[in-house]
Amino acid sequence: MKLVSSDSECMARLATGDANALRELYQRHGRALLRFSSAMCRSRQAAEDMVHDTFVALMREPICFDPAQGTVFGYLCGVLRHRVSRHFRQQKRWVALDMDSDTAPVQASDSQCPTDEIARSEITAAFRRAMLELPLQHREIIALCDLEELPYTAVAGILDCPVGTVRSRLHRARALLTIRLASLELIDLESEPPIAHRGLS
Amino acid sequence: METQDPHPHLALLLKQYARDLAQSAPSPELDARIDRLVADPARIFSPAPLRRRSMPPYAAAAGFAALAIGAGVFIGMRLEHARAVLATAAAAHDTLWPPTDLTMWPTDSVSFKIPAEYSPQGTLVAVDPDSKHGSTRYWIDVVVSNDGTFRIEQIVPADSTQKKGGRDGVAPKVR
Repeated sequence: MKLVSSDSECMARLATGDANALRELYQRHGRALLRFSSAMCRSRQAAEDMVHDTFVALMREPICFDPAQGTVFGYLCGVLRHRVSRHFRQQKRWVALDMDSDTAPVQASDSQCPTDEIARSEITAAFRRAMLELPLQHREIIALCDLEELPYTAVAGILDCPVGTVRSRLHRARALLTIRLASLELIDLESEPPIAHRGLS
Repeated sequence: METQDPHPHLALLLKQYARDLAQSAPSPELDARIDRLVADPARIFSPAPLRRRSMPPYAAAAGFAALAIGAGVFIGMRLEHARAVLATAAAAHDTLWPPTDLTMWPTDSVSFKIPAEYSPQGTLVAVDPDSKHGSTRYWIDVVVSNDGTFRIEQIVPADSTQKKGGRDGVAPKVR
């Protein structure tokens, strides 16, 4: 029988230099972190880079985790969120070169990647594009509350803000996304859900 | 603020999108990178190559501000110190003037003995000390001071005093 250690035990082992604890944490939370990262970043490669950097940061400074302030997953989400935020800040400094499409190399940049490896249908692809057009703080609140379905208190811990702020920010993010989707004619604000959508629920 | 449920259409799209996201698993490349991380954790602790980092603008601005404040404080201290020195000097000048070691009288003076005889007009005139004197000869003691004044100290008959001095019978005596 294999003993499964808790997240806190893994963190304690990691703090003592046991690198295998990192693998356990990755196997436990890597997939959820990748979902969050994919919802935030445009390209799959950038999302995986963010997850990798999160675990590198965790390995560098495992003692930064404080069990009194939340769960390990919440801590990892917080680290990932900062990584993503820094990634987009750095991207603002980059200047896109005006190149012909025939001569342009394959774009690896997060902002230039047109291919969508996440969405499985045209509708979700359009939804994802609308989502990625939201400001970062609205995008992350929808990713955490509506996609990951984390409780508001956990999200408040990740974002380091009061629960009331989480609620108001989520309300505003949903309103913005609804308006955006309505302009793309993905949703009709005055009618029932279309038949194609009913089957999804 | 109570958060309302999202619009039904939005809720459906969110569910579908969450389902698509859930189907995406970490790529083998990411798994391999994590495996390498676990296998060789010392790699991430190796010192990063030194690189020049440009100074952030706010740090440069803060540095200049600190420098300006420091220069201002230094100049202000110097001015204040100079003013204090001048004030002290002025106060000392006011209280010590005139200095106690200075008097209205000159400190240096020279006395001369001038031979003189009565002229036929009855006035006392200077004569050559080597000449033969026909009438009564007198010594006139004159004191010349370094403030440009002179005074006659005394007139005595030559017979009552011993002849002193040089060629003209002048015997300077510094007081």
